[in-house]
Amino acid sequence: MESFSLLLDGFATALTPINLVYALVGVTLGTLVGVLPGIGPAMTVALLLPITFNVPPASAFIMFAGIYYGGMYGGSTTSILLNTPGESSSMITALEGNKMARRGRAAQALATAAIGSFVAGTIATALLVVAAPLVVDFAISFGPEDYFALAVLAFTAVSSVLSRSVVRGLASLGLGLAIGLVGIDQQTGQARLTLGIDQLLDGIDVVVVAVGLFAVGEVLYVASRLRHAAPDVVPVGRAFLGRSDWSRSWRPWLRGTALGFPFGALPGGGAEIPTFLSYAAEKRLARGIAREEYGNGAIEGVAGPEAANNASAAGTLVPLLTLGLPTSATAAIMLAAFQQYGLQPGPQLFDHNPALVWGMIASLFIGNAMLLVLNLPLAPAWARVLHIPRPYLYAGIVLFAALGVYALNGSRVDLVILYLLGLLGYAMRRFGLPVAPAVIGMILGPMAEIQLRRALAIGAGDVTVLVRSPIAVAFLTLAALALLTPVFRRLATRRRTGNAVR
Amino acid sequence: MLVLGVFVLAGTADVTTAASTLGLGPRFFPILVGCALILIGVCYVIDVLRGGRGDPEQSEDIDLRIPADLRSVALVSVIFLGFTAVLEVLGWIIAGALLFFGLSTVLGATHRLRAALIAVVLAFCTYAGFVWGLGVTLPGGLLSGVL
Repeated sequence: MESFSLLLDGFATALTPINLVYALVGVTLGTLVGVLPGIGPAMTVALLLPITFNVPPASAFIMFAGIYYGGMYGGSTTSILLNTPGESSSMITALEGNKMARRGRAAQALATAAIGSFVAGTIATALLVVAAPLVVDFAISFGPEDYFALAVLAFTAVSSVLSRSVVRGLASLGLGLAIGLVGIDQQTGQARLTLGIDQLLDGIDVVVVAVGLFAVGEVLYVASRLRHAAPDVVPVGRAFLGRSDWSRSWRPWLRGTALGFPFGALPGGGAEIPTFLSYAAEKRLARGIAREEYGNGAIEGVAGPEAANNASAAGTLVPLLTLGLPTSATAAIMLAAFQQYGLQPGPQLFDHNPALVWGMIASLFIGNAMLLVLNLPLAPAWARVLHIPRPYLYAGIVLFAALGVYALNGSRVDLVILYLLGLLGYAMRRFGLPVAPAVIGMILGPMAEIQLRRALAIGAGDVTVLVRSPIAVAFLTLAALALLTPVFRRLATRRRTGNAVR
Repeated sequence: MLVLGVFVLAGTADVTTAASTLGLGPRFFPILVGCALILIGVCYVIDVLRGGRGDPEQSEDIDLRIPADLRSVALVSVIFLGFTAVLEVLGWIIAGALLFFGLSTVLGATHRLRAALIAVVLAFCTYAGFVWGLGVTLPGGLLSGVL
C-alpha cells in the first residue's frame, strides 16, 4: 500500500490553489480543442510547450494531463452533434450518437458520454495507480537492448494499427525517423542531414513538427476542399439521463473501461481499436429495445465506446510514465515535454520525482470531476462553439501556430520549416498516410538510437547482444507479429468469403 | 497516381541523404533508417502499382466529393510565406492581422470588414497577452515606437 500513501501526497500537490487553476485551465482548453475541428490535444500541448517553460513541471503536467482528458470529452460532443468526429478516438461515437441526436435524444447522448467518460476515467486512473508500480518493478531490470526492442515494438505496432494500410503507416514512421535524425548527433557531435543550414544543427523542434503536421497541414488540406455549407449542428439543451438510460448505460460503461484500459497501455493500442471493439460488443449483447434501436441511435453504442476511449487515455499513461514509451501522438508530445524539463520518464522517474508523478496522477481524478461539471450543464455552450465560422477558425489556427513557433526561437527559419512540414502534412492527408506514426517516430527515434548504440557498445560490436535477453526477444517477436496483422486479416476475410461461396 | 509517384520519389530522395551522411558512429543509425526507408519506399511503389490507393483523410469540414482546389492551397501558401517575409519588418500586429485577414478571405469569409476587424483585434490581443502578459518576445516592427 505504499503507492496509496504516495497518491495521498500527490493529492496534496494537486490540491494547491495554483495547481487547481492549472488543472481547470487544462480541462477547459482540452474540451475546447476537442470540440473544435482542426485542432486536437496533441497540437495544443505542443503549442503550449514554449509558453510553459517558466512554469514548474508539476503544474505544467497537471495542465497537459487535463488537456489530454478534456480532448477526449470534447471529441464526443462534436461526434454527437455534428456526425463528424473531432478526434479519431470518437469516430465510433458518431455512429449511434448522431442518430440519437437526430431523434431528439442529444441531451441523453451527451450525458451518457460525459458520465461514462467520468466513470471510465476514474476507474482507469485507479487502475493506473495499481499498475504503474508493478510495471516499474518489472522495468527496473531492463537493459538498453530491451528498451530498443520496446521502441521497435512501438514503431511497428503504431504504424500497423493506426493506418488501414501498413505500408502507409510505415512510410509515415520513416518520415518521422528521418526528421528525428536532423541535427547534431548526441554522442559524437557530428552534424547530420542539416543541408548546411546552421539553424538545423539543433535539430527540428518537436513543436515545429507537431504544429506543422497537425495544424498547418490540416489548414492546407481544408483549404483544398472546404465544405462551404454551414455545419449542421443538432441543437441541444442541458445534458441529463433518465432512469431507463442509467440502467442501460452502466454496464456498457464498465465493459468499455475494461476494453479501453489494456489497449491504451499496449504499444500501438491507442483508442481506435477498443472503441470499435466496445461498439461491436454492445451490438452483440444488445437485447430487447436496444437491439431494435441499434443502428438508429442506441444509447449503449455511445456509452461503451466513450468509456473505452477515456479508459484508454489513462492506459496510455502507464507506458509513458513507467517506460518512457508513448503510444499516442499526444503522449509523444508529453514525452517531449518531460525532456524539455530534463526529466526522463521511466522507472527512475517514480523514485526521483514522486511529487511530480503522483501529483499528476492525483490531478487526473480531480480533472475528471471538473470535466463532468464542465460538460453536463455547459453542453449548450460547447455546442455553440461549433458554430464559429470556418474561415475565422482556420485563420486563427494558423495565426496561433505561427505565434507559437516564432516565439520558440524568434527565428523565421522555423516559420519556413513549419510551412514545409505543413505541406508534408497536407500531402500525407491527401494520400492517406496517418500523421501520428511520424510524430512518434520523430520523438522516439533518437531514444531508440541511443539505446541501440549503448547496447552495441556493451556487446562490443556483437549484434547478438540485441537478442540475448528474453524480454527483448519477446518484444521483437511481438513487433514482427504486429507487422503481419494485415496478412492475418486478409487470410481471415478470404476464408470467410470462401465459406460464403461454398 | 502521378502525384503519388512524385511523393514516393521525394521519399527516396530523403533516403539518399540519409544514407550518404558521413561519419563513423553517428552514421550507423541513419543507414539503418535509410535502408528501412528504401524498403518501405519500394513496398509503397509496389502497393501503388498494384492499385492500392490511400483514402484521403476524412474530416468534419472536408467535402471529399468536390475535386481538390489547388488554387486555394497555393494562395494560403503565398500568404503564409509572405507573412514570414514581412513579419520582422512590419511587426507582429500588422503582419499577423494581414495573415488572418488574408487567410480568412481565401477560405471564404464573406464580410470583408468584419474579417479585418477581427484580424486587427486578434493580432493586437495576442501581442498584448504574450508580450506583456507572458514575456514572450515578438517583433514590434513599424509600431515599436508607439507601443
